[in-house]
Amino acid sequence: MLGQLAQTGAALAWAVAALAVIAAFVVLARAALARWRQGRQFRLRVRAEDALKHVYKARAAGERPTLESMAGSMQVSVNRAAQTVAGLQKADLLTLGEEGMRLTPSGERYALNVIRAHRLWEQHLAEKTGVAENEWHRRAERQEHLITPEQADSISAGLGHPTHDPHGDPIPGPRGDFPPMSDQLLSSLEPGRWARITHIEDEPEEIFAQIRAMGLAPGMQLRLLAKDPRRLRCWCDGEDHVLAPIVAANLTVQPLAEPAAAGEAARPLLLSHLEPGRRGRVVRLSPRCRGAERRRLMDLGILPGTVVRSELRSPTGGLTAYRVRDTLIALREEQAAQIQIEPLAEPAS
Amino acid sequence: MSSRGQSQREEILACAQSLRWELGAQFHEKLVESIYADAARLAARAVTRPGATPRFDLDRAIDRLVTSRRWGIPLMVLLFALVFWITIVGANYPSQFLASLLVDRLYPWLREGAAALGLPAWLRGLGIDGVYLATAWVVSVMLPPMAIFFPLFTFLEDFGYLPRVAFNLDNLFRRAGAHGKQALTMMMGFGCNAAGVTATRIIDSPRERLIAMLTNNFSLCNGRWPTQILIASLFIGALAPPYLAGLVSAAVVVGVALLGVLLSLAASWFLSRTALRGEVSTFSLELPPYRPPRLGQIIYTSLIDRTAFVLWRALVFAAPAGAVIWLVANVRVADASLAEHLIHFLDPLGFWLGLNGVILLAYLIAIPANEIVIPTVLMLTVLTTRLTGVGGGAGVMFELDNPADTLAVLRAGGWTLLTGVNLMLFSLIHNPCSTTLYTIYKESGSWKWTGVAAALPLALGFAVCFVVAQAWRWLGAG
Repeated sequence: MLGQLAQTGAALAWAVAALAVIAAFVVLARAALARWRQGRQFRLRVRAEDALKHVYKARAAGERPTLESMAGSMQVSVNRAAQTVAGLQKADLLTLGEEGMRLTPSGERYALNVIRAHRLWEQHLAEKTGVAENEWHRRAERQEHLITPEQADSISAGLGHPTHDPHGDPIPGPRGDFPPMSDQLLSSLEPGRWARITHIEDEPEEIFAQIRAMGLAPGMQLRLLAKDPRRLRCWCDGEDHVLAPIVAANLTVQPLAEPAAAGEAARPLLLSHLEPGRRGRVVRLSPRCRGAERRRLMDLGILPGTVVRSELRSPTGGLTAYRVRDTLIALREEQAAQIQIEPLAEPAS
Repeated sequence: MSSRGQSQREEILACAQSLRWELGAQFHEKLVESIYADAARLAARAVTRPGATPRFDLDRAIDRLVTSRRWGIPLMVLLFALVFWITIVGANYPSQFLASLLVDRLYPWLREGAAALGLPAWLRGLGIDGVYLATAWVVSVMLPPMAIFFPLFTFLEDFGYLPRVAFNLDNLFRRAGAHGKQALTMMMGFGCNAAGVTATRIIDSPRERLIAMLTNNFSLCNGRWPTQILIASLFIGALAPPYLAGLVSAAVVVGVALLGVLLSLAASWFLSRTALRGEVSTFSLELPPYRPPRLGQIIYTSLIDRTAFVLWRALVFAAPAGAVIWLVANVRVADASLAEHLIHFLDPLGFWLGLNGVILLAYLIAIPANEIVIPTVLMLTVLTTRLTGVGGGAGVMFELDNPADTLAVLRAGGWTLLTGVNLMLFSLIHNPCSTTLYTIYKESGSWKWTGVAAALPLALGFAVCFVVAQAWRWLGAG
């Protein structure tokens, strides 16, 4: 009697389990299908937006976009590019005339929105996260298709309406406006001139990585020391750099009128090189130091003009305590290397 | 009119927009600079300073000593060794006093009282053998060490010494991707992991704070020291000649604690390079001036903010766990208690890990506090082996005064040297107690990170125990 009951129970349990498996399968399959459809739609939109961006950037650079150049930059076949262009034409975002592809006003607006989203997101990653620099572009390439114009506005507000992204590219305003340009390539700068880096082209990636490895960043001031057809030598942020001309052509700079205007005719010292017991006055924080890290230093009162005295070294190294505004603050070596100072003589005791 | 107003508005906005480009990116920084300049001017006008600097600056002299290359680290080791010694030795007496009061006297009295009142047996078991005994146990084991350790620690903190420890050790933590102040939260974790997690508030960089929170569990806490000491002296100290036994077991326990520190650094290194890449990270460490410690402040902070707070949380979790422990041992399904079914179910897994089903079940149901793991293990061992004459019956946790008796019970439960070693390892490397987990959730506000905090050490503990067990058996040692 008891055995029979147990058998029936077991059979019932198996039946329920089988039903559950079937139900789970149906639910999962439906979800997968929906996700696949969504993903397809998203991929189509990404392709269309990348095509608009390509046409916009080519026109802005004074070039003539072709299906081949578009296919190349988007890494798809020419056929795919042609399909995408046809779709854009139908949506009245792009016209195909005598002189090649052109954006309609609404197409241009659309392209600028995507560029705005891209650059705002790079700025967001630079300021609000600790994501490594070589990942900014790749992440923004994806995010630019997900951010709506309204979200872009709120990101912009959250960042204090930045005008430039971390590479120095201007971020289009909500009306698609751009700043007046007065910049030139570093490769065309006269030797001996001072300039401020305004932009570092982030493509191709190898050259960008090389420039990053040198520690150059937009906002830094540099002086071109010598130039010949094979290399350029410049001084920037306390260090000498040697660049190949092809690398220098990826740097855009804004010439500064006078070396005096640069405010650093003398080569400043880095705080990390200040010997214990010596004092210095902060000249500025390196532009390489950004986001939360920069705000933290400024919150601690480390600003241009602040007098800093090196006091203690950690016995295990890597850390030094500085007297800043009557407070003892320990900074790591790589942080202190972001602070440029001019050495001060000891006060007479 | 309105259309003219409209166009004027558009014009102003467009003008503002074009002017924005001319402000420059440094605009916000200029603002900060001018605020500081204003503040400095006001301060200069309002604050009078003594003219000459004193010839002897005490702060500087102390700093020179405690951060010196030669004396800094030895001094620190000495100071902390002293703190731990005072805690471990000093906590023994009040612990024994509390245990004799709460467990040896009050407990039988409560049982008799309840029986005299005619309460049903299940209610007496659940309420007194389960809930009361678990909470009494937690109080008597947990309270004294915390009430000694935290005031000492707070004393060093209030005096201003602790930031110097972070300063001395930062390089070690920097290489692990962590913050020097993690040295302090780790140290606090030796007292209690929940308090250590709360202490991570001193780390103001979000990424490093999370790292400190997730790895605090590797600090061997108060609740686990007694387990380590007991098992080390029963299984490893016994291997050494008698005159060395105490020294050997002490060395083994210290070794386990150091292994925890090493694992904590390794886990920090791992987390900072995987799950926590891309979180915001900044560093700053203020070294405040030294000052005479304020006694009232120290007692309030250490006893109310830390000890009482943690104890309360532990009790809240221990009470229901006591009920669960009693129920598991007393609810019978078919012809055995629930505990025996669970133990048989867990035994194969336990075997692969070089442990046994009893230990796994004990860690499962004694999750509120590591303090009650050993009593639960003893109770469950007696329950499954049906030993007679030991302990207080099903669901009643107990400990034995005589180590030889404890060893006899464990041997009856099938324990070998491998079981002892792996229990010590698993006691160090397993999920944090529920009090700590709840504190991690409160502090991080995220179930995800709470889950990581539980899963990471648990997985690591399983892996370590598994490898040790297999190697042990392969070498034929066990």
